[in-house]
Amino acid sequence: MYSLLPGLLISFVLAASAAAAPANFETIASQADKARTQDRVPDAIRLYREGTHLRPSWADGWWYLGSLFYDQDRFPEAGAAFQHLLASTSHRGPAHAFLALCDYETGKYDDALAQFRAWAGAGWAGPRELRDVADYHFALLLTRDGRFVESLYLIAPLAQRLGDRSELVEAMGLASLRMRYLPENYPPERRERIWLAGKAALYAAQSPKDFERADEYAAGLESRYGTQPEVHYFRGTLYGFEEKNAEAEREYREELKISPDHVPSLDALAGLDLERSDLAEAGALARRAVAVDSNDAEGHRLLGRVFFAHGDLHAAVAELEKAKQLAPENPLVRSHLAMVYAKLGQTQEAKAEAAAFLALKNKDEVMASQQEKLGKNNGENVH
Amino acid sequence: MRRVLLLAALTASACFVLQIAGQEPSAAPWQSFDQLLQAAETARDANRNDEAIWLFRRALEEQPESEQALWYLGTMLYEKEQYAEARDVLRQFATLRPDAGPAWALLGLSEFQLRQYSRALDHLQRAMAQGMGDRKELIQSVYYEVVVLLTRFERYDDSIVMLQRMLANGVADPALTEPAGLAALRLPFLPAEIPPDRRELVHLTGRATLDVQTQHYEDAETEFKQLVTKYPNEPGIHYLYGAYLVQLHPDESVAEFERELEISPSHVLARVRLAEQLISQHDFDRALALAQQAIKLDPKRASAHMLAGEALLAKGNAGDGIKELETARDIDPTVVRAHWDLLRAYIAAGRNEDADREKKTIEKLSDLNSQSRPGDARDNARGRAAP
Repeated sequence: MYSLLPGLLISFVLAASAAAAPANFETIASQADKARTQDRVPDAIRLYREGTHLRPSWADGWWYLGSLFYDQDRFPEAGAAFQHLLASTSHRGPAHAFLALCDYETGKYDDALAQFRAWAGAGWAGPRELRDVADYHFALLLTRDGRFVESLYLIAPLAQRLGDRSELVEAMGLASLRMRYLPENYPPERRERIWLAGKAALYAAQSPKDFERADEYAAGLESRYGTQPEVHYFRGTLYGFEEKNAEAEREYREELKISPDHVPSLDALAGLDLERSDLAEAGALARRAVAVDSNDAEGHRLLGRVFFAHGDLHAAVAELEKAKQLAPENPLVRSHLAMVYAKLGQTQEAKAEAAAFLALKNKDEVMASQQEKLGKNNGENVH
Repeated sequence: MRRVLLLAALTASACFVLQIAGQEPSAAPWQSFDQLLQAAETARDANRNDEAIWLFRRALEEQPESEQALWYLGTMLYEKEQYAEARDVLRQFATLRPDAGPAWALLGLSEFQLRQYSRALDHLQRAMAQGMGDRKELIQSVYYEVVVLLTRFERYDDSIVMLQRMLANGVADPALTEPAGLAALRLPFLPAEIPPDRRELVHLTGRATLDVQTQHYEDAETEFKQLVTKYPNEPGIHYLYGAYLVQLHPDESVAEFERELEISPSHVLARVRLAEQLISQHDFDRALALAQQAIKLDPKRASAHMLAGEALLAKGNAGDGIKELETARDIDPTVVRAHWDLLRAYIAAGRNEDADREKKTIEKLSDLNSQSRPGDARDNARGRAAP
């Protein structure tokens, strides 16, 4: 995936900065551009260094210097150059992405994630090639951060567009099995498991969905690693995508036999129970989920729905407000809150929540807007 | 052991390094740099490696683009298994000397150790393209890692091609058994990533594959039979056995391909090879269906398009048949059989200019002896039996 970038950087055209320049600077800038276009990389680096030293506000100079270093895999130096572009309104967006990529390559993963979030907040700027590479690495870091759903959310469109690529398979496998690893550091003995899950996830994410092939890999995963944590939950989510609820339920229950406190399985089962109005089990499972993880927004939301179904509106509001606090951009939470407020006669609050729901729902319908949510480090924990 | 040997070859003589660096020692612009470099080399020759590394680093502070210092430092860091540092130094050296194949090789090998597999593959392939002279140990190490990385990136056919090249060059290293088994089974793992309970399967498959490649057919026969007996439900086994049987007992191969498709419904190559057999048995309807399924599963598989084209032509649908053959040719212009098919189809359709073009292409490919080139592993519907 990294190999998508070389060449892009150099051709990425930026508006030249317009400040007046000493004659010496103009000469150096011209020589630097010439060296770069003639592929005399060491000369170009030296000249861009001199030029940016003479005129620190030379945005193009920093850009090309960073790009040349990046293309040479000299990430610390590339990062230092891109850092100078953060003050530039025209370059800030892509500079965040490149800084993130440099931080990733130098092992500063938390910094990289922060830069990716800043990039997302600045509108995911950059050409398609940059966005692909950045999305991929952003997704890897989200997985490392335990934000598996968001990670898959970012990778799935790449998988649809780029197809069956080994890097994407690995990334999807890690996220699907909820393994907080990067491709560079997971235990080698997990390779087969990650590959099988990744293949299944990738084919399930194609457009149109290729569930037949996804199931083939998922069956292989289950037969090989059926006693390992996360495998049945993953299989359950695949069945869920296929709207095979009975099979999904079976898999979630299998997962709970292996990992009794598996919160996503508890939530998923509670959701299925609610669909068929089995309020008793839904309530018990959702309670278990929030007892295991009090920050489980989905558990609170489901519990809120159970209370609502029982007519206990005040308890429902308390749970849904807790869910809202944990996941303010979850449209379902806002929708249910609107319903409960309306029942309680709190018209103003109901209208506000309904409006929030509509806004978020519309966002949900557009991938770019959905991605925009990821730019905000809002602490959501949606399973 | 492989690493130690290749390093000995790379660092044994100063002459070699100077050859790599492409420059003779000359009067340095700074006396202190010369002194530092000389002291570093003395320390290195006396096996005072830590001191040598420190001195090379100091020399680079004076002259950051000193090719000699970068090369020596990079190789020493690699030798000390400080792969991240070695990578950074060698990358700088490679920027200055992009024509230095051994530098790309050591860079790629360092990246391999750091599990930066995508970069490692790129740089090792660059080393191969640049050439590594006659450094046999280094070349073998690079080829080996390229084989295992191609498999890990699910480029199994390319991996087999590389293996065939190694075998053709007389490399008969037992270390190739697992890479051969992984590529044949289409399992994208490094040898170190093979699950313990699959190691025997991979090993036996690798032996059978290498025996086919080296034309030890009796051994291969025995190993394939063992595989089918011991692993009757394992994906890939019946396909491999079928591919082996094609050359000796083609009729028996059909049952193996069919069994494979029961076990692995989306197995593209089993479909392709089965379609090929059915065409030879004049069962064009079934062959066409299988080829079309293969195309759906893997639209860029040249052999699937070629066989679909052959089946369509045989069924009298020249228009669609020619289209499929042209698609096959465009995906992989080196498949001679597709050109022959097209030649015949164009002649039948009265398209003489197109037919002439195909004839010339066939002659050109024949001159290049490409019908028997190792690349045939890419596509087994060419008359060879490389599983």
